[in-house]
Amino acid sequence: MSAAAEQVVQTKEKKPFHFLKWAKGRKGQQTIIIVAFMFIPLLLLFTFTYFPFAEMFKFSFYKMKYIGPRKFVGLDNYIQVFKRDDCFGALKLSLYYIGGAMVQLAIALYLATILSFKVKGGSIFKGFMFFPYLISGIAIGFIFKFFYTRGFVFDTVLQWCGFELENLPYWLKDQRINNISLVATSVWRYFGQNMVLFIGAIMSVDAELYEAAELDGANKFQQFRYIILPSIKTIVTLNVILSITGSLSAFDPPYVITKGGNGTGTYFVIMNEIAHVSQKVGLASAMAVVLLIIIFIATILQKLFFKYAMRDAEDENTGAGLRREKKLERYRNRRKGAA
Amino acid sequence: MKLKKVLALSMAAVLTLSMAACGGGSSESAAVNTNEETAEAAPAETTKEAGDAAEAEDTAEASGLSYTNIVLGESYTDITTTIKWLTHRTDLIDSGMIDSYIADFNETYPNITVEVEGVTNYADDALLRLTSGNWGDIMMIPAVDKNLLNEYFVPYGSLSDVSKAVRFADQWMYDNTVYGIASTGNAQGIVYNKAIFEQAGITAIPKTPEEFIAALQAIKDNTDAIPLYTNYAAGWTMGAWDAYINGSATGSSKYMNQELLHTQDPFQDYGDGTHAYAVYKVLYDAVANGLIEDDYTTTDWEGCKGMINSGEIGCMVLGSWAYSQMVEAGDHGDDIGYMSFPITVGGKQYASAGPDYNYGINVNASDDNKAAAMVFVKWMTEESGFAYNEGGVPISMDGEYPALYAAFDGIEFVADEPSVAGEEDILNELNAESELNINSGGDSKIQSIIEHAANGDMTFDEIMAQWNEAWTSAQETVGVEVTN
Repeated sequence: MSAAAEQVVQTKEKKPFHFLKWAKGRKGQQTIIIVAFMFIPLLLLFTFTYFPFAEMFKFSFYKMKYIGPRKFVGLDNYIQVFKRDDCFGALKLSLYYIGGAMVQLAIALYLATILSFKVKGGSIFKGFMFFPYLISGIAIGFIFKFFYTRGFVFDTVLQWCGFELENLPYWLKDQRINNISLVATSVWRYFGQNMVLFIGAIMSVDAELYEAAELDGANKFQQFRYIILPSIKTIVTLNVILSITGSLSAFDPPYVITKGGNGTGTYFVIMNEIAHVSQKVGLASAMAVVLLIIIFIATILQKLFFKYAMRDAEDENTGAGLRREKKLERYRNRRKGAA
Repeated sequence: MKLKKVLALSMAAVLTLSMAACGGGSSESAAVNTNEETAEAAPAETTKEAGDAAEAEDTAEASGLSYTNIVLGESYTDITTTIKWLTHRTDLIDSGMIDSYIADFNETYPNITVEVEGVTNYADDALLRLTSGNWGDIMMIPAVDKNLLNEYFVPYGSLSDVSKAVRFADQWMYDNTVYGIASTGNAQGIVYNKAIFEQAGITAIPKTPEEFIAALQAIKDNTDAIPLYTNYAAGWTMGAWDAYINGSATGSSKYMNQELLHTQDPFQDYGDGTHAYAVYKVLYDAVANGLIEDDYTTTDWEGCKGMINSGEIGCMVLGSWAYSQMVEAGDHGDDIGYMSFPITVGGKQYASAGPDYNYGINVNASDDNKAAAMVFVKWMTEESGFAYNEGGVPISMDGEYPALYAAFDGIEFVADEPSVAGEEDILNELNAESELNINSGGDSKIQSIIEHAANGDMTFDEIMAQWNEAWTSAQETVGVEVTN
């Protein structure tokens, strides 16, 4: 440490700190108010989120049941998670849900684009399509259990369309398609919500841009591709990230409709079974921590991916953007001239 | 400036007040809760310590509270209190049966008010409620480890005393002390539709797995009924298959709690159509030969009752408790019959029998509530006719067997003996460790039999080998001596 620095430290020490004076001053008042207002929310956050999580993290190092003695086993539970077939095998099912999430976002984006232009009965359609999101996951499970039952709703509708019952698969029994059936229920439930988010974002696009694009002879698809999509890319990215993390932790449809049987047990369903039936609470806690880490990694990877993907897209279009700007400028000038 | 100071001060005052109000509110409600749950009894903090529980036991014994000493209509008639009963029988609450039992009880004991709370997902929720301590005075004992019984429940008396008065007294016993009285007893068998069996040309009740599969095939060939309805989707109905691997499949009362733990490869083929292998093979074969419902993933538990009643189902593998429900589900109650599981051990047939949920009494309740609760339990067992109405094996020693056991002539009931002292928790540990969860919610393993049989991706012997492996490795982890 240099002499000069020591000097600074000494001069600082020489000035004694008066708490009361500080507290009465503007800075002190500010700090006190901030701390006072933050105290309660932080306390709640800590008690109901971080403290239970810390407890669960602690459990993951123990061999324990809900009641009875606990035994510290170190990393055994984590080793088990990686050794067992069912834990990571269940994560493969998440691919179905991720695929479903992509379909869901595509449908939502498509409908949102259509509905954000003038459509007859647009509000009613929005309402109908958003409605499933308002039903609880358990109720949806029961609805679809009957929907998929042999010879019930779905089969009947397909028979009206000319399908023969013998040619139809068993929607929940056939292990090749039962996961797709389950994913479809979750797509049905969530696409309306994504759609509403997209519509909200599309609303914020300046209507003049469409007008300008139309004058330039852009068709609807080109308008979507070059105006809407770049304007709402933030919300699209957010929805993709939320859908993929949601897919990793899918629980409602398999738990209610098939109880995780017949090859539909997702990671969460297996975790629930281990925690509540076999009462291996430590192992289940370890599974939860591992999933959390996987979700962290997945999110970070996606963020990086979008950072690159989006930047590339912009690089490609810098010329186009400039040209667009120029055209707009010309258009405005012409309008001014006309006036 | 002054105004600002006043504002700041009043703001601070409001904040402090609101915080104080929050704190006050919660502590107050906590106090109310403890009042409700334990009245003036021992404070809640002491409950966790075994020593204190033992103390509570002493006081209970000192006050002379024991199951056998209670004389209904004479003992404790002076108590005025309210007790709360946590039960799994939500169906009986809905049908008003529970209310009518309580009304009958109040004719003898008008001063004891019984409140009932039904819990739908009982096995899981009751365990959580038990640990929280806030559950009332009587509960149906969930799957707790036996060495913890005295921390939670009041003893009814010693095994030698209580077992003279009731059947299955050893179900929840630890150190020769009984902590649970069974509500009713179940025998394990198969509920079937007599008319369908007749129509299919089955004259004698099948006694071996081969005869049973042949009978199912006859039902498939000669009638429109589903030969065997699995109830796959309900889950717990699958776990019920475990109830046949003890007495019904071996004829031994020691198998479940004493022999199974020490058995090397208990799921192996014994070659004589007995043991667990034969039980589960019946299911596998029935599925593999297409003798079950078309789409097992969408079975409907409530619907199956009416279906067997009207002759759309040939038979279902369920405990005797299911019999009365099937009889009441439609107009053809007379067609419903009950038979033993088709396994013959050395030329003789056996049927597992055992207690349903047991009544346990809260060790932290007040002395009055403990006494009132025990009076109620004894009344339910001896006077209410509950076990008879449920079609169960009587709990009270002088109780009557219901008519459904007519077909069990010559078949011996085998009730499981309790574990050897010191081995009470080993079966639980093995179950959890192996994740087979025999007789404790292992629904998914039985479901997997159906899945593999239907998809043909695993033979029955492969499944059994897998289970044997899980069992063996659990035995090693827990450190159980394997003797046979």
